[in-house]
Amino acid sequence: MYCVKCGVKLQEGVERCPLCRTPVWNPEPQKESRSYPDTLPLQHREADLPGAVALTVICCVASIVTLTVCLKLYGRLQWGGYVIFGLLLFYVIAVLPRWFREPRGEVFVPIDHAAAALFVLYVCLKTGGHWFMSFALPVIGSSALISTAMICLLKYVKGGRPFILGGFLLVLGGFTVLVEFFEHLSFGTEMFRWSLYSLAGFGSVGLFLLIAGMIPSLRQGMRRRFFF
Amino acid sequence: MPKKWYRLDTAALIFPAITRRDWSNAFRVSACLREDVDTQILQRAVDALRPRFPSYYVTLRKGVFWYYLEESREPVTVQQDYAYPLTFMSSRELKHNCLRVLVYRNRIAVEFFHSLADGRGGSVYLCNLIACYLKLKEGISIPCEGLIRDLNETPPPEELEDSFLKNAAELASGRKEERSYHLHGTREDHGFKTLTTGIVETQTLLDTAHRYGVTVTALLAAVMAESIIAMQNEEKPRRRQRPVKITIPVDLRRLYGSRTLRNFSLVLNIGVDPRFGDYTLEELCRSIYHELCASATPQNMAGMIAANVQPQKNIVLRLAPVSVKNLVMDAVYRRSGESGGSLNISNITKLPLPEIMLRYIERMEFIIGPQRSYPNNCSVMSFGGKTYINMIRNIRESELERRFFSRLVELGIAVEIECNRR
Repeated sequence: MYCVKCGVKLQEGVERCPLCRTPVWNPEPQKESRSYPDTLPLQHREADLPGAVALTVICCVASIVTLTVCLKLYGRLQWGGYVIFGLLLFYVIAVLPRWFREPRGEVFVPIDHAAAALFVLYVCLKTGGHWFMSFALPVIGSSALISTAMICLLKYVKGGRPFILGGFLLVLGGFTVLVEFFEHLSFGTEMFRWSLYSLAGFGSVGLFLLIAGMIPSLRQGMRRRFFF
Repeated sequence: MPKKWYRLDTAALIFPAITRRDWSNAFRVSACLREDVDTQILQRAVDALRPRFPSYYVTLRKGVFWYYLEESREPVTVQQDYAYPLTFMSSRELKHNCLRVLVYRNRIAVEFFHSLADGRGGSVYLCNLIACYLKLKEGISIPCEGLIRDLNETPPPEELEDSFLKNAAELASGRKEERSYHLHGTREDHGFKTLTTGIVETQTLLDTAHRYGVTVTALLAAVMAESIIAMQNEEKPRRRQRPVKITIPVDLRRLYGSRTLRNFSLVLNIGVDPRFGDYTLEELCRSIYHELCASATPQNMAGMIAANVQPQKNIVLRLAPVSVKNLVMDAVYRRSGESGGSLNISNITKLPLPEIMLRYIERMEFIIGPQRSYPNNCSVMSFGGKTYINMIRNIRESELERRFFSRLVELGIAVEIECNRR
């Protein structure tokens, strides 16, 4: 059997040329002779255990030292609380995923946002502010929702990348307006000072991606240009 | 008894440093027998080779200043082959063993982490494994000639030596090379590698090469360069193109009379710059052949060896912790390791085997994995009058393979294609 396009001889029983994907017409179909089995290897991703252990020890030591210094000097936490909650935030974002073989973005991104909310809540309470419920929580909550949705779409939806990225950028533009709206509500600042610029920036790139998704030649050109 | 340990040879030092979470540098040598392989007998053969090839039954360990190889007490277990060759060798696996023996029907394949050996060393191990297997299975007597070693003798020190250290020039040649054009495409899911094997008659290939007045390696490199140039032409205007260079490993054993079974080869980036004009196949053949001949001289290679050996002798670098060395080596590799070539063509020349073994072996192949920064590679081995050209890729697009093999057909070389992708 030969490929009519490439001119190469093919293995018995193949349905398409492996080089050009031209269908092979065989009047006497034969069983395909296989040179490799179907078994796929297990995925070998590994947890970074030495890194996780080292960073955990560093974070614990830093927390204990901060706590000891603050209690010794002031008899209470004083500025140490910021350091300890900051370290906790760092730990959740940078160290926790290292313990897992395959840290899932859709799980860790909401956890990271929750840790960030906790840190901000501490700052709010410590400074006697009243902006957590009206500003920080809605902003962090919306950010968690948008980023988790984006990760899930990229992970579980095959294809349609320009539409997903374009849609994400449009939503991101809208999110900046929302942030300014909550800022206006909480702190009484003037509305539309900066968010319209970011909306215009994100929106135009997002719209371009949506259009590129609809035009195959433009899409292919972009894939070639931005391949990494 | 304390475990034996070995320093990594000069070429091997780079491979642990550049390993990634989804990529490691490995290669495979395989042989198809005329009958299905008996896994239990093969396991006995694998175990029997341990005392004769101690530098292959090792684990990769991390010292304070350098990586090193330590004798492994764990057995190398014969495994069933997978849907694609050269599945990822994780650092966890390398802590147990640095080679794999895989079986599928009548095929015995051995995959090596590159820090252990180069293609030639790997071939010696495979041939001895087959010889031992045939002795155990068929009860035949195989003379210790060609690549076959006496399993009862102690491994001579020259088989375990780092031949780079012996043969370095006093002055190092420069590493600087212009970045070459790199192919790209849509990555396969889960690290799948597509292997396309082109089987051609060795005599036809030789006749064609001689028609152009070059060697087989130079002819294949020229056809490959022509295919890559055509692909670059379709992608970029001429003024924005990059040189197209084929990375060709040179076995230094013949140049320096070494008998080492560890790494002792260096690569040359040979090619042309398409910005200066179009090239016919004849011109590509001539240019690549002459550049290869002019570069692969003992003097020039000694200068290149010195460029790799000298940093090892620098006291500051020697005292740097292994993690710092990893960062430095990774940066050096990124700058000058793969950037100078567009694709590898690694050709293992004829393997001298005892006549009696040839009756039992149908074919032999050599496969190198895709590089870290470019997705296609090519390896060649001849056996029993046929040449097996293995093109591997970790992207979906088969455009390079199509152009390359179609061009060979145009040159009058009949090509039979096999592929692991269905």
